[in-house]
Amino acid sequence: MYTLHLLNKSPDHPRFEACLAAVSADDVLVLTENAVLGLACVNETLPLKSYALESDVKARALQDAVAASGAKTIDSATLVALTETTHRIMSW
Amino acid sequence: MNVLIVIDRAPYGDWSGRESLDMAFSLAAFDKPVALLFRGAGINWLRHGQLPEDIGQKSGERNLAAAPIFGVSDLLADQQAASDYRLTLDQLLPAASLVEVRPELYRQYDHVISL
Amino acid sequence: MTAPQRNNEGFLENASEWTPAIAQDIATESDVELTEKHWEIIRLLRSFYKKHEISPPSNRLFVKAVKEQLGEEKGNSIYLMQLFSGTPAKTACRIAGLPRPTNCL
Repeated sequence: MYTLHLLNKSPDHPRFEACLAAVSADDVLVLTENAVLGLACVNETLPLKSYALESDVKARALQDAVAASGAKTIDSATLVALTETTHRIMSW
Repeated sequence: MNVLIVIDRAPYGDWSGRESLDMAFSLAAFDKPVALLFRGAGINWLRHGQLPEDIGQKSGERNLAAAPIFGVSDLLADQQAASDYRLTLDQLLPAASLVEVRPELYRQYDHVISL
Repeated sequence: MTAPQRNNEGFLENASEWTPAIAQDIATESDVELTEKHWEIIRLLRSFYKKHEISPPSNRLFVKAVKEQLGEEKGNSIYLMQLFSGTPAKTACRIAGLPRPTNCL
């Protein structure tokens, strides 16, 4: 069973690294708030299934970074649906 | 007295960046020489094209664009931070300039402040 | 049409609800009779806010913003005090529908 990781910390916060280290291959990572800055970071390699909240991406002008990183944007309704269908959730 | 205010935290996360801006604008209002330096995640204040309406916030980029009008002398972007966050000069707001952050940079100021 | 929400100091809660008619009402309350000279400053403040999403935070910065656009002749505190009584930045922002300047005591 996969885990849904919800990360809202900026890449310069220690919890950002802690979260990435805890994500395993079939887990899903959702970046919100300042965590979306991780999409632009040269020092970060994001997991295969990474998503970023659209409104936070737009706020920080990171649309190009999303495309380059291989992550996908989701809206808040999709995020809510995802949390409803996932049994295990970790909020970082 | 020559003041440098350092912003090293990302926009839209906490209030320290806005408080730093307030401080810079207040010094500029009284014609005190003041510059802003953006380091670390703070570099993202300068990224061009921010649209924070959907998260209910005012654009940090647009607020900052008023800095030269108010008399803030420089918006300095740490080169290292810019490359860490994949930012090139053309992706920064036009008033910003890239600098290498070395001890000599800080020594140009009488007072260096980080909130 | 219902009147837009205003705060306890008479500033609009939402700058986008501003209309010239509302400016007229607020000016009357503040004993300011609007002339073309006033409208010039009001338009300047509206476009400043659209561009920067902040009100000039203080009187001095209000003066600087006007000076940048219209030069010394109008960008000085005496000229602006003659147009907008009280604290010019506050009075002008109130009439122009901008949020209260943050550093105006």
